[in-house]
Amino acid sequence: MKKFLHSLSVRQIILGISGILSFLVFLALLAAFWLLQGKEQSQRMANRWDADGGMAQVSCFFSHDAAISEDMLETFRHSIDSALQEASVTQDSPNASARLWTDAYSADGMITVESDKSKLDAHAIGIGGDFFQFHPLRLLDGSYFSGNDLNSDYCILDEDGAWQLFGSNDVAGMTVMIAGMPHLIAGVVHRDDGYLARAAGLESTIVYVSYSTLERYGTNYGINHYEVVMPNPVRSFAYQYVAEHIGVDEQNLEVVENSKRFKLLERIKAIPAFATRSMNGKAIIYPYWENIARGYEDLLTVIALFGILFLAYPAILLTIYLMIRWKHKTWTVKGVYLHLKDKGERRMEGARAKRRIKRQRKKKYKNRFDEEEEYR
Amino acid sequence: MNENGSKRRDWVKNAAIIFLTIMLLLTFFSNTIMNYSLPEVAVQYVQSGSITTKIRGTGTVESDDPYEVNVKETRKVDSVLVREGDSVQKGDPLFLLADVESTELQAAKDAAKAAQNALDVAVTSLELAILKGDISNATANNIQNGNVMSFANYQKRMESANADVEKLEKGVEDANATIARLESQQGSLAGSTPDTGKEQEAFNAAQNALNADPVKKAYDKIQDYAGKIAECDAVIAERQEGIVTGYITVSSGDLVPILSVSDEEYQIALVNRARYIELMGKEQETVAVPEAKAEYDRLLKVYNDAQAALESKQNSVTNGTNAIAAELNKQRALLADTTAKLTAAQDVRADLLTEIEMELTGGTSLTGGSSIKDLREALVKAQEAVLKEEEKSVGTTIEAPISGTISSINVVSGRETDPTTPAITMLPEGSKFSMSFKVTNDQARRLSPGMQAELVNSWRYDDVVVTLSAIRPDPENPSQQKLAVFDVTGSVTDGQSISVSVGDRSANYEMIVPNSAVREDSNGKFVLMVESRPSPLSTRYIATRVDVEVVASDDTQSAITGGLYTYSYVITTSTAPVVAGQQVRLADN
Repeated sequence: MKKFLHSLSVRQIILGISGILSFLVFLALLAAFWLLQGKEQSQRMANRWDADGGMAQVSCFFSHDAAISEDMLETFRHSIDSALQEASVTQDSPNASARLWTDAYSADGMITVESDKSKLDAHAIGIGGDFFQFHPLRLLDGSYFSGNDLNSDYCILDEDGAWQLFGSNDVAGMTVMIAGMPHLIAGVVHRDDGYLARAAGLESTIVYVSYSTLERYGTNYGINHYEVVMPNPVRSFAYQYVAEHIGVDEQNLEVVENSKRFKLLERIKAIPAFATRSMNGKAIIYPYWENIARGYEDLLTVIALFGILFLAYPAILLTIYLMIRWKHKTWTVKGVYLHLKDKGERRMEGARAKRRIKRQRKKKYKNRFDEEEEYR
Repeated sequence: MNENGSKRRDWVKNAAIIFLTIMLLLTFFSNTIMNYSLPEVAVQYVQSGSITTKIRGTGTVESDDPYEVNVKETRKVDSVLVREGDSVQKGDPLFLLADVESTELQAAKDAAKAAQNALDVAVTSLELAILKGDISNATANNIQNGNVMSFANYQKRMESANADVEKLEKGVEDANATIARLESQQGSLAGSTPDTGKEQEAFNAAQNALNADPVKKAYDKIQDYAGKIAECDAVIAERQEGIVTGYITVSSGDLVPILSVSDEEYQIALVNRARYIELMGKEQETVAVPEAKAEYDRLLKVYNDAQAALESKQNSVTNGTNAIAAELNKQRALLADTTAKLTAAQDVRADLLTEIEMELTGGTSLTGGSSIKDLREALVKAQEAVLKEEEKSVGTTIEAPISGTISSINVVSGRETDPTTPAITMLPEGSKFSMSFKVTNDQARRLSPGMQAELVNSWRYDDVVVTLSAIRPDPENPSQQKLAVFDVTGSVTDGQSISVSVGDRSANYEMIVPNSAVREDSNGKFVLMVESRPSPLSTRYIATRVDVEVVASDDTQSAITGGLYTYSYVITTSTAPVVAGQQVRLADN
């Protein structure tokens, strides 16, 4: 090793060290990519729904002009069952009540929530379906509610909202009034306050209510989001099905396959289109989680780009080094082959000798044992 | 050499010491380090308990039988004498109205007046049309009464008028043709002259013979004498009348009249008359001779015949021309007459068409829009509307029609009442209350009439009892929603909003967990149970998946069945996602 090091020139040493450092940076970037990839839980519903794979999570975002109604979504839901049946996708879980797919939708709006002490005008998200399965916000108190629950008079506050209304986070089970109607606080959630979260729209208090509450008692800006996790027997099956059957024209719709958006290959594919990523010709306002996800997409794309660069450098160096070594090699393939063959034969000889000695010893001990038996 | 070896040994020794120290530290603190990387979870143990599935809703209390006090006209309110919540007896005054006609009555009267004016104008136009002769009385009557004959009738009348016109047009055409033909004939006859020599000779001879006849001469003389006698008679008569032509003053100074016939003239007239009479007598003796008379007659006849023959010959063209002229005149007269009749018939036809049009349209061309019949009907309706408004008119004091409680007042002093809105709504004494709210089909399946509902914040209500009385389809969305209707008794008022919860009776379950502990994926619902595994350094906690089925749930907890035991620990919340088989750390309590 010492001899090898002494044989290197200064330039070679510097290049070697820089190559190694570049590779280490690549590894660090790869680790960062892997960490960031798994950070956004709202994009990993497919993985949570079926850890074995075979599921895809697809999200749709609508413009206000799409005028999506609950009836339209109900019709679409019924069509999913037929589509899966036609594709011979069936439920094979031993649990009879297991569901093959699940979905959720939401609408933005504003709502006024009153407690005995104070009143809060907050940004509201009216949810339907299993919204909190898709968006498992960190619960500080209580539990989630679902659009499929028996009662629809639940609400979830974020910690700011709970503080403003009650001065505490431990308020699950208490009652607030929305347009004079009592609503039960199902839980209190933590609101992300990172740089991306604030830029994505999480800079103010949010109240989660049922869609029917928002429609009846708040200001409803219309359903702007629908997502589904469903079997994906072939690549892009779920994405294609949702895009074609959701019943909204392209100008008012954006469909995203969440389950593959953070994969390395997708991020590498996004590099050439990076300049046009920010352009949006559709009048669609994304909810905060989609804005955060798009922020992460950009970050991961940049990381992937730099990762490629930092990998390319040592790879090129290594390639050049190997080429040089090959050019100045002192061995031949035949020589290596003969050396290896010779080594192999020697080893086999040694093994044969050992077996021979072993057999002789065995025979010797057997003869002695037989003699002793005869003697007795 | 030895120095190098020594240095190398020291270096290796130091590196080994450092390495071992680090390994020892990591080993001792590995648990702590690892713990901080593990997700922190909150757990709750599975316990038995009861769960009551409740359906919550809020509705507005309404009286089952509210009584609306209506004022069916728009009148200004002077003052309102009661307030919401007041109890009143039948006949108590509720509010006072201004003592003026209602807006509706005034409007109806104005409309009736306008209808009358319109009708008057239309009738006047019709009368003027009659006076001008534009339409007949019969047509005017039909227009006034709106009588419209059948189309067949009108068609028949027009056909008759058209037939007359056509007939007269044909007559005019024929007359014109005849006139043209006669004029042509007349033109051809005008140039020709007849030969009358023989006839002239015969006539001359007959005339000469007659003139030579003594009887003829006698007749001529007689005629002459008669003329003269008449002249004498005239003079005599004038003298006898004593016609005075002037007066003269004589020497004596007297006025003596001057007669128109002098004495001399008178005497001459007398004498002449006598002479002429005598002479005439003598000539009459000549005429009286029968043979002479017969001869005269014979000569006269011959003369007349000769004259006639001559005239006839002379007038053969004239006769023909005259006949044509006469015929021509006759035809021209006929043409003029027929033309006049044609014009008259055309006028009659035009008038008939006008009258029919007026009858069919009800005279709208005269009235400028509506027919007189319609205007008359409109007037009747407007008058009926006035009567109706007058019937609806109430006095100035509105009294309570029943005993009860004032639940809502919709009138304000100084403003007008609204006929479409009840002025005051009352709750009759002893009336019942009900309340309803919408439920989903799923919720409705868990309800049954007769269930008692609990009031939210029941401490606010003393004696209020709410009972589910019926579940009906929601008229707005009958396929997806129902209406849960409740009977409400106790101290409530109409319009009050109350929140209730109603549902199944409580049921006990062996395993109850918080709702946040129940998770779901494609294999169904499950909980993550925490299993503790002791190890030499510390106890490790592993999250284990247990498939469960949720049999009941309420707002905060769910009853489950599955492969776990009571008093097992289940994960409710965590700082990071937890998957089955993952090690976790418990949250510090």
